[in-house]
Amino acid sequence: MSPTADPAKDDSLLAAEYVLRLLRPREERAFERRLLEDHRLAQQVAGWTARFSGMNAEIAEITPPRSAKKGLQTRLFGKVEEAVPLWRRLGLWQGLSFASVALAAFFAMQIVQMPGQTPPQAQDDRGALFLSEVAAEDQSLRVLAVYDSAAGRLQITRTAGAAAPGRVLELWAIAGENAPVSLGVLPETGKGGVILPEGLRAQVAGLTLAISDEPPGGSPTGAPTGAVLAVGQVTRL
Amino acid sequence: MDQTDEIESLLSRTALGDRQAFSQLYDRTSGKLFGVAMRVLRDKSTAEDVLQESYIKIWRYAERFAAGGGVSPMGWMVTIARNTAIDRLRAGRDADDIDEMSDRLADRGPTPEQVAEAAGEAGRISTCLSQLDDPRDKAVRGAYLEGLSYAELAEKFSVPLNTVRTWLRRSLISLRECMDQ
Repeated sequence: MSPTADPAKDDSLLAAEYVLRLLRPREERAFERRLLEDHRLAQQVAGWTARFSGMNAEIAEITPPRSAKKGLQTRLFGKVEEAVPLWRRLGLWQGLSFASVALAAFFAMQIVQMPGQTPPQAQDDRGALFLSEVAAEDQSLRVLAVYDSAAGRLQITRTAGAAAPGRVLELWAIAGENAPVSLGVLPETGKGGVILPEGLRAQVAGLTLAISDEPPGGSPTGAPTGAVLAVGQVTRL
Repeated sequence: MDQTDEIESLLSRTALGDRQAFSQLYDRTSGKLFGVAMRVLRDKSTAEDVLQESYIKIWRYAERFAAGGGVSPMGWMVTIARNTAIDRLRAGRDADDIDEMSDRLADRGPTPEQVAEAAGEAGRISTCLSQLDDPRDKAVRGAYLEGLSYAELAEKFSVPLNTVRTWLRRSLISLRECMDQ
């Protein structure tokens, strides 16, 4: 890494110019392409970033206008009722009709019984069953979730709707006032199963399930970032 | 280093989607970041917009910063604000480029040893800059603090573009030698 005779060929200098933003747009793009593959080059960039950061102390702090923070929060989180956590706002539409629960129960029995044709009386041996129909208000999205407490497994079947193009559906479990816990991205096929985290199993009967619209791969933050499309409460069967 | 720890902790809570931590992070750091944007843009309303854009990126990338480690949390945020401001200054450019840049900074941070080493170097930069001949230290500062391009530096110091480029590269070599001592 000793300085070479030709500064243009010195990667360390090129990295410094890149950090300073002295490269022309085309050079910058070419450098960034190399950066993606060249780990040592990336370290040079990080090294110069740290070195130049000594000058940060020369920058005077200026208190931004109050409007800046408000505007930021609106841009990020939307307006007004944002002070109320998402999972509490869900309460507004938790009122599921009895009919939809009964219908869901019917389907749940079929789903659970189909594989092994287990007669209903055998269920006591297998542990309690719980179900939830996670549905949009307008029924444009419906997902049936059946939980078998013996297996600790939540069986998911999508019965209506799908993710928007280029987006995914992510399933969340909400226990009481706690923050939503991700149960994962719903499979595109519409059917799948997840193992319920240990901590949630004891409270499964009071659990709320919700489905949110997320970018591919699921929420990048660990909390729902897109619109909550469907909500349902878990009931013991 | 209490303040660094506090900012780092707020940043890692921000990564988990904690809005309250994000709000505190803003309160602690927005003065510096607004200072950075103002220094580059010299216009209050543009700087305010750039400040918001920078915090939107911080909110989105906080997770990667926490995961990647490396650069100091404040240094990382200043880099985002500075690059966002320079991008705005050179408005024709694609904002996506800078998103990728912050990705990489977060993803491929240096090792802890390199950070420690670089931190020592950071403290030395003022000393090393002061050892440069007069207008040359100003050229480095102009590029870093005000986001000036080679063409703008040439104009500012009334020298041909190639001269300023040669100056600056020599200055960078001197800086590196001074800091590696």
